Amino acid sequence: MTLFFKFDFNAICQIVLEQTLKDNDIKYKLVGFGEIEVLEKLTSDKQATLQAALDKYQIEIVENQKSILVQKIKDTIIDMVFNEDTVVNVKSSVYLADTLGHSYGYLSNLFSEVTYTSIENFIILQKIEYAKQLVIKQDLSLTEIAFRLNYSSVAHLSTQFKNTTGITPSAFQRIIAKRKAFNQDNNQD
Amino acid sequence: MIKTLSNNISFLRTTLYISAFVILVVGALTYRSITEVTKSSELITHTYKVNVELEQILSNLKDAETGQRGYIITKDSVFLEPYISGRSKINNSFAELKVLTKDDTILKESLIKVNSLINKRLLAFQTSYRSLPKGDIEDPNFIENFRNGRALMDSIRDNIKGIIKLQNNLLKQRRSEYESDLMATPLLLFSLLLCSLILMYVAYNSIYKNIKRLKATNEELEIFKESTNQSEIVSKHGSWTYNVKRDEFTYSDNLYRLLGEQPQSFKPTIENFLTYVHPDDVEKLTMQVEQMKENIELPYIYYRVVHKNGNIKHLKAYGKSVVNEDDETVLLGTTADITDEIISFRILEERNAELERNNKELSSFNYVASHDLQEPLRKIQTFLSRLIDEEEGKLSAKGNKYIDRIQNAATRMRLLIDDLLQFSRSNKADKVFEESNINLLLEAAKQDLAEVISAENAVITSDTFPTITVIPFQIQQLFVNLIGNAIKYRMEGKIPKINITHQIVEAENEDNIIKPKYSHYHKITFTDNGIGFDNQYADQIFVLFSRLHNKDQYSGTGIGLSICKKIVENHKGYITASGQPEKGAVFTVYLPIA
Amino acid sequence: MQEDYINITLADDDEDDRLFFTDAFDEIKITTRVKTFNDGVYLMDYLNSKDATLPNVLFLDLNMPRKSGLECLKEIKQNPKFKDIAIAIYSTSASEEDIENTFVQGANIYIKKPSDFKTLKKVLSEVVTINWQYHTNSMNKDNFLLRF
Repeated sequence: MTLFFKFDFNAICQIVLEQTLKDNDIKYKLVGFGEIEVLEKLTSDKQATLQAALDKYQIEIVENQKSILVQKIKDTIIDMVFNEDTVVNVKSSVYLADTLGHSYGYLSNLFSEVTYTSIENFIILQKIEYAKQLVIKQDLSLTEIAFRLNYSSVAHLSTQFKNTTGITPSAFQRIIAKRKAFNQDNNQD
Repeated sequence: MIKTLSNNISFLRTTLYISAFVILVVGALTYRSITEVTKSSELITHTYKVNVELEQILSNLKDAETGQRGYIITKDSVFLEPYISGRSKINNSFAELKVLTKDDTILKESLIKVNSLINKRLLAFQTSYRSLPKGDIEDPNFIENFRNGRALMDSIRDNIKGIIKLQNNLLKQRRSEYESDLMATPLLLFSLLLCSLILMYVAYNSIYKNIKRLKATNEELEIFKESTNQSEIVSKHGSWTYNVKRDEFTYSDNLYRLLGEQPQSFKPTIENFLTYVHPDDVEKLTMQVEQMKENIELPYIYYRVVHKNGNIKHLKAYGKSVVNEDDETVLLGTTADITDEIISFRILEERNAELERNNKELSSFNYVASHDLQEPLRKIQTFLSRLIDEEEGKLSAKGNKYIDRIQNAATRMRLLIDDLLQFSRSNKADKVFEESNINLLLEAAKQDLAEVISAENAVITSDTFPTITVIPFQIQQLFVNLIGNAIKYRMEGKIPKINITHQIVEAENEDNIIKPKYSHYHKITFTDNGIGFDNQYADQIFVLFSRLHNKDQYSGTGIGLSICKKIVENHKGYITASGQPEKGAVFTVYLPIA
Repeated sequence: MQEDYINITLADDDEDDRLFFTDAFDEIKITTRVKTFNDGVYLMDYLNSKDATLPNVLFLDLNMPRKSGLECLKEIKQNPKFKDIAIAIYSTSASEEDIENTFVQGANIYIKKPSDFKTLKKVLSEVVTINWQYHTNSMNKDNFLLRF
């Protein structure tokens, strides 16, 4: 039997983060989107301990303001793409600028500088990533996936999928299915 | 034929029975009538004899009377002689009559009456002549006596006459019976004999006809037998029969020849036969013969025989049971010498293997060549690109032009090698047929072509396809090539439109299907509104490296459609093209429904 | 947040290709450390050694003497120690089936060696970038398939 999970990274991270902070006796206040206001002065020792505790979750303390903003941009995009409850009726550039309180031009430049990629590419990457999840689950047709991801047509989705991954959605689906069977065979041996 | 013969046989049998019956009847009748005639003539003789004896008695009496008269007149006792001898004669006659009439009671009684009358008459004689010497003829006693004698005599005569008359009547009646017998018997006999003759004639006729037919049939059979013999020799097979009940074999002449022996040169037994069988096959054959005896059936069996001169021949035998006229099960068998077939089969197999080897070598050569050629070409191209990037400004205009040309040539070579490689892949031996959703393959092909489709705004419409057992990669490739082709050869200024239809067709209704191996095919047509082509090139376009357009106009290699053809052939299908310049082209693919 | 450089490793028996590869990374603005090996045996010996620096992305040529890229792929996939390495097949060409097969056996990336240096740089840069995205954004690596 195969189970599929849908999870909210933010929520998970939040829980892990809060738990770790509590464990380390740090007073905090949640600001949102991975931003936490520490209500006391952290010694470098204490910060190192906290970082060490967070390492196993691959959570890093980001001090740099630019990095914080980039992370915010990413989180906003991921939320925008993956969270079905977040309905975006405006262009993503407008949505980002509105949500984060900076001009899109500023955000875009900042993002490219830090991540080696553009916001547009990152959005596409995340959309395709979501599309991959949906394709693997196999309970939605390509048309439905295209609709859910706000593509104008299946062809548009297919084209973008192929441009991003070099593989067509159906080939992707086939490969993942075969790989599962292959791994199962190998595990049995 | 056999039925008419058996009908005839029963007819003949009936005729024989009837004839025999008729002859028996004729015999019996003849015997009876001869017996009748004999009896009649005996009776007539008998009647005559009785009459004669009676006449005799009467004449004796007359003699005695005459003698008495003479004695009376002359008193000479000489005249008494007839009377004395008459007496004993009459007695003799009566004795005779007694014998003759012992079965006839009426006659006997009449005779007894006559006899007593005669005795009285004779007594009257005695009395009259005894009284005569004492008296004379005038004596009244004598006269009275005489008169009495006279009356007696008359009564005797009357009686005898009556008897004779009766006898004559009887005789008359018997004669007429006898005569009618004599008349009727020959007529009956004659008619019966005639019947018999007619029957015999019919029987003869029938026999004659049958014999004639039998003779003709026999001749035919003889010819057939001879031709069977000939055909057995020519086709190298022999026949045999095995009577299950009697455990007996018969072998045809040629069966002996198949063993390298003269016809009927040894007794047809399984033991004798096995001495010719190859030692390695004896056990197998013995087993199968045992099974044959049990199951009364012989499936195809293969074994080898060794001739006395050491030649080894491959034989194949088959048997089928039939029931003969005597209700015995007989196995009719055929044994064929398939040595030549096996030899040619082996040669064919070897040639096939060689061909396959050659084909494999060729395709692996093609693959290796195109694959390995890629590497140096790629390096040339990469170095060239670096050269352009880094040294462009340092080269003269001429140098740059040359580099440009080199790049073009290299690009063309790349195209050729890529297509050749794809062609050789479509030729590879490991083809895995899978039941595939053709709609998904078409969708995947469209995804492969997504870039060019959206660039040209191409419109592709298609029917819904059923699942077909295909090599999925290849069919996807086929779709890619055909759709790609249609877009590549689009009409300037027109949105390329490609319509793909599916239909199940009967092979015999399709002119494009030549020598079909299957009865039904999937017919998939690709109709486009591109530049089309002159129909006279319809076959040519599938030939490797053949191109209808200048390579400066269209960047084709002339391999794409050859790949399509190869793929379709791999599926035992057909592909045809037809076109109209400036109007469009139609490509039709037929995939068999196995 | 990130390490100073991205570790890249290549196993390819062709000298020219190794040259193109290292040159390309030299010209890409991303800071990388490129290590090359002449065949699969050298590569695996290194990876299995104690003090090996495991690469972020490992490029494997398929046709190599002694140990082919596919054999390396199998060994790497069987060893949990290497589970974080993104594997890129870096080959001259292969059929669709062969490409799919490498993906099925666990490769993340398939690169048909480009015949143009610019393209090569672009491709390698994209590979590193996307891998970087997967790495830094905790994306599901099972779904990481990329083909050039």
